[in-house]
Amino acid sequence: MTPFDLAGLLTFWSRRWDDILELMVEHLVVVLISLAIAMVIGVVVGMLTWNKPIPAAIVIAAAGVALTIPSLALLALLIRPFGLGWTSTVIALTFYSLLPIVRNTIVGLREVPPSVLESAMGMGMGPIKRMMSIQLPIAWPIILTGVRVAAQLTIGIAAIAAYVAGPGLGTLIFNGLSSLGSKNALNFALTGTLGVIILALLVDAAFVQITRLTTSRGLRA
Amino acid sequence: MPESTDTALTQIASRTDGARIVLDRVSKVYPGQDAPAVEEFSMVAEPGELIMFVGPSGCGKTTTMKMINRIIEPSSGSITIDGRDILSLDPSELRRHIGYVIQQIGLFPHMTIAENIAVVPKLLGWTKQRTADRVDELLQTVQLDPGTFAHRYPRQLSGGQQQRVGVARALAADPPVMLMDEPFGATDPITREKLQAEFLRLQESIGKTIIFVTHDFDEAIRLGDRIAVLSERSQIEQFDTPAAILAEPANDYVRSFIGQGAALKRLALIPVETAVLGAASAAVDHHRIATDDSLRDALDLLIVTGAPAIGVVDRSGTLVGSLTVERISTALGADATALAATRSDEGRLA
Amino acid sequence: MTVSTATTAISTASAARRTDRRIRIARRAATPVIVVLSLGGLLLWLSTLELDSIEQRTLNWDYIFLRTGEHLNLTIVASILVAVLAIPTGILLSRTRSRFTRGFVLGLANVGQATPAVGVVILLAIIWQTGYTTALVALVIYSFLPVLRNTMIGLEQIDPFVKESALGMGMTSGQVLRRIELPLAVPVILAGLRTSLVFCVGVATIATFINAGGLGDMIVNGLKLQRFPVLVTGAVLVASIALLIDWVASVIEDVLRPKGV
Repeated sequence: MTPFDLAGLLTFWSRRWDDILELMVEHLVVVLISLAIAMVIGVVVGMLTWNKPIPAAIVIAAAGVALTIPSLALLALLIRPFGLGWTSTVIALTFYSLLPIVRNTIVGLREVPPSVLESAMGMGMGPIKRMMSIQLPIAWPIILTGVRVAAQLTIGIAAIAAYVAGPGLGTLIFNGLSSLGSKNALNFALTGTLGVIILALLVDAAFVQITRLTTSRGLRA
Repeated sequence: MPESTDTALTQIASRTDGARIVLDRVSKVYPGQDAPAVEEFSMVAEPGELIMFVGPSGCGKTTTMKMINRIIEPSSGSITIDGRDILSLDPSELRRHIGYVIQQIGLFPHMTIAENIAVVPKLLGWTKQRTADRVDELLQTVQLDPGTFAHRYPRQLSGGQQQRVGVARALAADPPVMLMDEPFGATDPITREKLQAEFLRLQESIGKTIIFVTHDFDEAIRLGDRIAVLSERSQIEQFDTPAAILAEPANDYVRSFIGQGAALKRLALIPVETAVLGAASAAVDHHRIATDDSLRDALDLLIVTGAPAIGVVDRSGTLVGSLTVERISTALGADATALAATRSDEGRLA
Repeated sequence: MTVSTATTAISTASAARRTDRRIRIARRAATPVIVVLSLGGLLLWLSTLELDSIEQRTLNWDYIFLRTGEHLNLTIVASILVAVLAIPTGILLSRTRSRFTRGFVLGLANVGQATPAVGVVILLAIIWQTGYTTALVALVIYSFLPVLRNTMIGLEQIDPFVKESALGMGMTSGQVLRRIELPLAVPVILAGLRTSLVFCVGVATIATFINAGGLGDMIVNGLKLQRFPVLVTGAVLVASIALLIDWVASVIEDVLRPKGV
């Protein structure tokens, strides 16, 4: 059992702030890379299946099953083929991001009113044009909400990835665990945990801004 | 795309003042259904004509109309616009030259009013300047100030304003043909009447060939050059001018559609100047009606005032005669006789 | 025509319902099939391997049952505690008129969501002790807020006119809560519990870091000792348990959901 020592924590921070910052950036980068990959896959899959009830249900169910699998189990399974570190982490995080993104893409595309689609068709837009310039922009805020949920999810999961030598703030948390009993254990674990919380809140705030900036004013309630 | 398609489209597109539409034995059968939704529908719409499809919901009138821009593909039969078989054209290319207005309007919520109107011109590759000029012109045509409305979004407009934008958007590329599916159906009665009046004035200046679907017979009478009264499977019960249908309904089905007050509805179609007027005297000058008002307005004035006769004035305001209930009644009779005469003429010609 | 259009509408609607039902049945059947297939595949694969002495120490039925038992115990006890603690608290909080309390709790729930589970588990071990109790407390703390939030949301999303008409019929507010609000909120509350249950399976895996046992032990040992069969067995077992628990919860959800909702 380690008592809390504020002065010690502040000293810890002042000595290691550049390491902490670097880990935070790593954490952010690995999450962003995974989100970007998941977004490409998720949006494309959503666009291909939104109007086909059975494939859409299968995709959503499969992504749901994926989300159920405990992260440590998935990370462990990825080590054999992909080794320790970044690759396994990115694959796992992408995997967990798919459900919210695919589901929201399908929901968003379905929510475009039929009258809007019919008038787009009546004006001579082909299926691709309709998708790109009508459906996708209207579904965009809902898709982004899915990405935002995925971001919250993966920032937390990325912390566990440090156990399989993944990048990011989880390293500090596990440093705390491995130095259990020493006076810095609490500082490590607390810094890592707080860092993840702060990062999650910052990313969430950033998403609110991005959604505001990239959504047509005509769609805002 | 084959060259012939291009030429055909160019030809259709160039007839901005209305094209001739011919539907020949057009049928639509939905898979898994025994009865066709539309059966052997044939009709000719002359250039510049405003044709109303009237019928109860589910009679196939909308299906029939949507086959013209191939939102619904016909199962059999042929459709031509200015002699060009539209079933051989690329559907998307074709639709860019057919204006389309639906009841739910379907404005794109994420685009401004100007962007909504500019969609088809952009698809057709117009220059920015030409598109912008056209948007301004159209907004003025539908009586929306471009400075105020161009950069607003659909949700910031009232229902009536949105429907005006819907009409402007359909007119954007100056198409020869317009298809309108209950465009004023979702608006309140006052707005609807205003939109109808504006639309009539608009059609006078643009003269498109218009197929207009409605279930409101009074709207059909008010707007249509000719009305097709449709029953199940889009069967044509009667296809004639509003006056002729009111004067001589072809059968009980059409009669039930007209409902009560056929004579009053007909009076609304006859201008005062066609009646034989009585003498103009100072005695009738207390209440006035204009020569281009309808006989229904005149009758209304007679009843409201309780006067035996009212004065008729021409456009300059000069008293030119008088009207009584008897004279209105005579005019209605004469109108029916005249209609019958034209019909027998047509019969002989045919 | 009116008639035939009406029948089309009905037949397409019922076709959609049929498709929906078929999808639901397929989904219901899929989970057990996936689990059985992967466990069968695992057994088959293990039977082809020559296990060394280290592997034999963990890849035997006694050891596996022990770890699975620990894992299920942790998950289920934590979930029951959460249900008992969070649902009544949620009901109480939804009764309060105080916007501040509500906002505070929902805000806290959001921060809670941003908190990494592994951080909570390890921090608690550092400032308190390692072992089962710590893991249990961490799981409860971690799952408490989502269930609490779903309870509040479930009660608040009920159409106020339904409550008004119940009051208007002479029900006391206690009766309205028991007979109207809670039954209507059941689906949302259950969804919260189901999420927390699945979550607990996952977090219980990292309980191994603080010596609280569970199947995480197999994964970690497999990693540390470079014994891939051990690692895979642990991972597949945990994943199977998560899928099965989610599946059982979904069946219970369907049974308990009031008809017509």
